[in-house]
Amino acid sequence: MIRYFRSLSLLLIAVLVAPAGAAQIVVHHDVARQALTLNVARLIFTMRLLHWPDGTRVRVFVLPDADPLHQEFAKRSLDLYPRQLRRVWDRHLFSGAGAIPVEVSSVEEMLRRVAETPGAVGYLPDGLARGEVRVVNVQ
Amino acid sequence: MSSSRIFRVLLPGLALMCCCSSLVSAGGFDEVEVHGFATQGFIKTSANSFFGDSEDGSFEFTELGVNASMDATEDIRLSGQLLSRRAGEMYSGTPSIDFALADFTVRSTENDNFGIMLGRIKNPLGLFNETRDVAFTRPGFLVPQVVYYDKVRNLILSADGLAARMSTFSELANVSLYLAAGQPLTDENVEYVYLGSGYEGDFSPDGLSYIGRVLVEKPDGTVRASLSIASTSMKFERGASDPIGNGGVSLVYGIGSLQCVVNDWTFTSEYMQEPIEWRGFVGSPLAGKEATGESYYFQAAWQARTDVEVMIRYGEGYADRADHSGVRIEQATGGAIPAHTQYSKIATAGIRWDVSSQLMVRAEYQRHNGTLILSNRENPVPAATVPDWDMFALSVSYRF
Repeated sequence: MIRYFRSLSLLLIAVLVAPAGAAQIVVHHDVARQALTLNVARLIFTMRLLHWPDGTRVRVFVLPDADPLHQEFAKRSLDLYPRQLRRVWDRHLFSGAGAIPVEVSSVEEMLRRVAETPGAVGYLPDGLARGEVRVVNVQ
Repeated sequence: MSSSRIFRVLLPGLALMCCCSSLVSAGGFDEVEVHGFATQGFIKTSANSFFGDSEDGSFEFTELGVNASMDATEDIRLSGQLLSRRAGEMYSGTPSIDFALADFTVRSTENDNFGIMLGRIKNPLGLFNETRDVAFTRPGFLVPQVVYYDKVRNLILSADGLAARMSTFSELANVSLYLAAGQPLTDENVEYVYLGSGYEGDFSPDGLSYIGRVLVEKPDGTVRASLSIASTSMKFERGASDPIGNGGVSLVYGIGSLQCVVNDWTFTSEYMQEPIEWRGFVGSPLAGKEATGESYYFQAAWQARTDVEVMIRYGEGYADRADHSGVRIEQATGGAIPAHTQYSKIATAGIRWDVSSQLMVRAEYQRHNGTLILSNRENPVPAATVPDWDMFALSVSYRF
């Protein structure tokens, strides 16, 4: 009983102290890139790189600003504050000066949309990428 | 191609985009994105009128916008925005086309990109002009008035024409260049500012405006520096009852901007110079006049929590850098135009609360010395304005 209780509390602690889930950048499986530099990752998510090297249009998917995974992704993967991304997207949206990402409402929708959209790029919690969706590392 | 012809082609396209939005299947990338925003403000001043009868408290500040955008092809993006803006005596709220453009990406690689825009294009002057009417993107209740005078807003807001944009990217810096030529929009507010009053005659753009900007950013976005410039001319053809002769006004509007992000702090500063030249206007004090408007501000904003930002700002604006005190004009006009109408020195403190990602509330206090930022349309008798005054402003904004 004590052992059971100890395992349970360890599990609970693990769940509580774990970050929102380390985010990994994922792409549609047709995207040839195996890895991205930090600079290129930033260009993609600030909507300044519109084509992959083979000419396919880059399609960016993101979660809402308030989503813990989005905040984790912005800080850890891009080393940007979420509000910096918002500033760029809002300038594009409200002036017509550029494209904006497609906002999805959940990790499940992110997985589905990236899987079914050629040229898609987004992010998922560690270990969730599967099927048509492939992880690319940021170097 | 004349601007009216551009719009005859573009506008039906944009209208169609809006109508079709509900018909297009979700999930495809041909879908139309529709977004919008609304802001209602309240302004109370201790004296003078700013956006309505603000001495008694004014609600005459409302901004409504709705925009639509879609990828027409892999390389062509269409977007447009309708805007209704009511601001006291200056803007009535009549809906107008804020922008309506086609953006053609010619080249986009990891090292550089190049594109062409055609239509009504927002002018990227300073850090905030392009989205100055969207509360969520502003650094305060309004854009800093000393650099982005509300009374000449329409003249520098957008241009109907053609623009080229190009950027290079590296680990050191991203450098962007923007060049545009187009017809500006003038309105009665612009006439009041540059001619001193509203006349029967016609005050209209004289040829094309030219707009240019160089923007240098660190790839992590922590430093942004830009130099932007617009050059424009207007002509006045007098009406039968006008006491002044025909004439022309040429001006250059230049802004140097710097923004640094350090942890939870954002520091922003901009400096503006506006050389203005009046030609003609026989029989009026404007004949042969020259002046150089000058202004600057510093702002520090602290992200106290993810949903709360606190800011302070100090700025000064002068109608003519050769007459900072305004005394020359006061003497030349025998006191009819008091010195304090020729400058504004403004200290501001404000707070922004993002209640949710869609709802934002702002409160701001401003201490003013001078009345340069006021519109003489709202304050028709310069000698009746009060030099030292306070403003308290509240706004609620919603976006979707």
